[in-house]
Amino acid sequence: MSKKVVIPKFSDVVSRLKFLVKEKESLRHDLENVNRATQNVLEDLQSEKEKLVKEKAKVEAIMASIGDGVISIGPDKRIVVMNKTAEKLLGWETKEAIGKLYDEVIFLEDKKGTFILPEERPLAKAFAGSITTTTTTSALYLLSKNKIKFPVAITVSPVILDNKIIGAVEVFRDITKEQEIDKAKSEFVSLASHQLRTPLTTVSWYTEMILNGDVGIITPEQKKYLEEIYQGNRRMIDLVNTLLDVSRIEMGTFKVEPKKTDIIMLSESVLNEQRPKIEQKKLEIVEKFNRDIPTFLTDPRLLRIVFQNLLANAVEYTPPKGKIEFFISLQNKKTILIKVSDTGYGIPKNQQDKIFMKLFRADNIREKATNGTGLGLYIAKSVVLNLGGEIWFESKENKGTTFYVTLPFTTNL
Amino acid sequence: MSEIKNKKILVIEVVEDDPSLRKVLRDKFTVEGFSVLEAGDGEEGLAIAFRERPDLIVLDILMPKMDGLTMMKKLRKENDWGKKVPIILLTNLTGDDEKINQAITENEPAYYIVKSNWKINDLIEKVRERLNRV
Repeated sequence: MSKKVVIPKFSDVVSRLKFLVKEKESLRHDLENVNRATQNVLEDLQSEKEKLVKEKAKVEAIMASIGDGVISIGPDKRIVVMNKTAEKLLGWETKEAIGKLYDEVIFLEDKKGTFILPEERPLAKAFAGSITTTTTTSALYLLSKNKIKFPVAITVSPVILDNKIIGAVEVFRDITKEQEIDKAKSEFVSLASHQLRTPLTTVSWYTEMILNGDVGIITPEQKKYLEEIYQGNRRMIDLVNTLLDVSRIEMGTFKVEPKKTDIIMLSESVLNEQRPKIEQKKLEIVEKFNRDIPTFLTDPRLLRIVFQNLLANAVEYTPPKGKIEFFISLQNKKTILIKVSDTGYGIPKNQQDKIFMKLFRADNIREKATNGTGLGLYIAKSVVLNLGGEIWFESKENKGTTFYVTLPFTTNL
Repeated sequence: MSEIKNKKILVIEVVEDDPSLRKVLRDKFTVEGFSVLEAGDGEEGLAIAFRERPDLIVLDILMPKMDGLTMMKKLRKENDWGKKVPIILLTNLTGDDEKINQAITENEPAYYIVKSNWKINDLIEKVRERLNRV
């Protein structure tokens, strides 16, 4: 076998070499491009990173500068964020507080200084998914780390990410000023109402004397007119009394003075006050009194206010020929249960949660009677709570309403 | 009954510069057969009380010069008669006023009525009931 050696042509070699050189050039060029691209990416990354850091700092600055206290809690109820105002209000430094349990940092009390248990706090409701806002009237007090107590308004809402609650955020502020203004308002109402009593008494007593025939005989026609004046004046006096009750509730001057009270006698007396109207409307009254209830300790004057309001409402808001049941019993020798039910207009379902609110009147009632104040049930509820009891109701529009009141049955102090 | 009718009532009632409540009380007590003495402030009232020794005093609380509660205290301190004379305080304040409640218990026999919540006839009843007890 003979070997055949092919000697390439010089020109071919040259062109091959040229090709290779070109190839190398192109590779180097590509490499340079890649390099440059990488460089660019890195630069972009860097600037994005810088932007992110800036953004984060901005969000943090916004958070820190919010004029209300803000704290955020993780799913384990540990504090993850706290702003400057919160620091100031709570007396905790952010770096100390972060990682601590919410309940280790936030201490809430009510007006009387009773500690509010964790499960009753607004935060608990946020983890159940709802937003809670407390206002100037709900009177919650925060205790700072150095035991400074101040009134707060709080809004707590759940933090939701991908449809899951991952924590809660609480915004709160000091409402000392608002409370002062509110107090000034109550004091003004109180002062004005007291001042109104003198001229009202003057009209009442002079009219009464004329009606009584003390200053001469009056004609039947004059008597009718004077009676209108007398009744109108009576209504004004009642209104002033209602306003005073409200201002006493709001100024916290409602003093409970427990006395041995015969609840049945008290009920009969309130019922008697309503008789004229009951007869006028031909209402049927069913008294279901457990008559052997012994006297017990409660404030009869305050209880009278509750009965007056519940009965007056039942009478006012039940159409003629309706039925009112008045039920009082002693349960397990521990609790007095009072029930006032009527076959009246009822409370619309969508307004039932507002019925004890000050000045609130349900829509269906506003159309029927214009002279209500929206204060009766607000007063009744405050009074019942002051007496250590509870009040609630069941109602169906155009079927009727039943109010329930419980009172503690105590016979000695 | 006729004995009661001759009883002397001292009405001390002035609300600010408005004498109309005092007038209506004077007229009503007169119509009911009482003899009525009047005063416009606590100082004047105290002087008349010691001089005339009325059987009962109807006393306003907010008054110029000397208020009703101060007058009551002075009356109770002065002498035996002053200690025992029944006093009915007239007030615009509601009954849970600490000061009034305390004054009532410290200065028996004393009562108070919230003016606007009382009929004038009921006030007369209260006065009669109180005088009958003596």
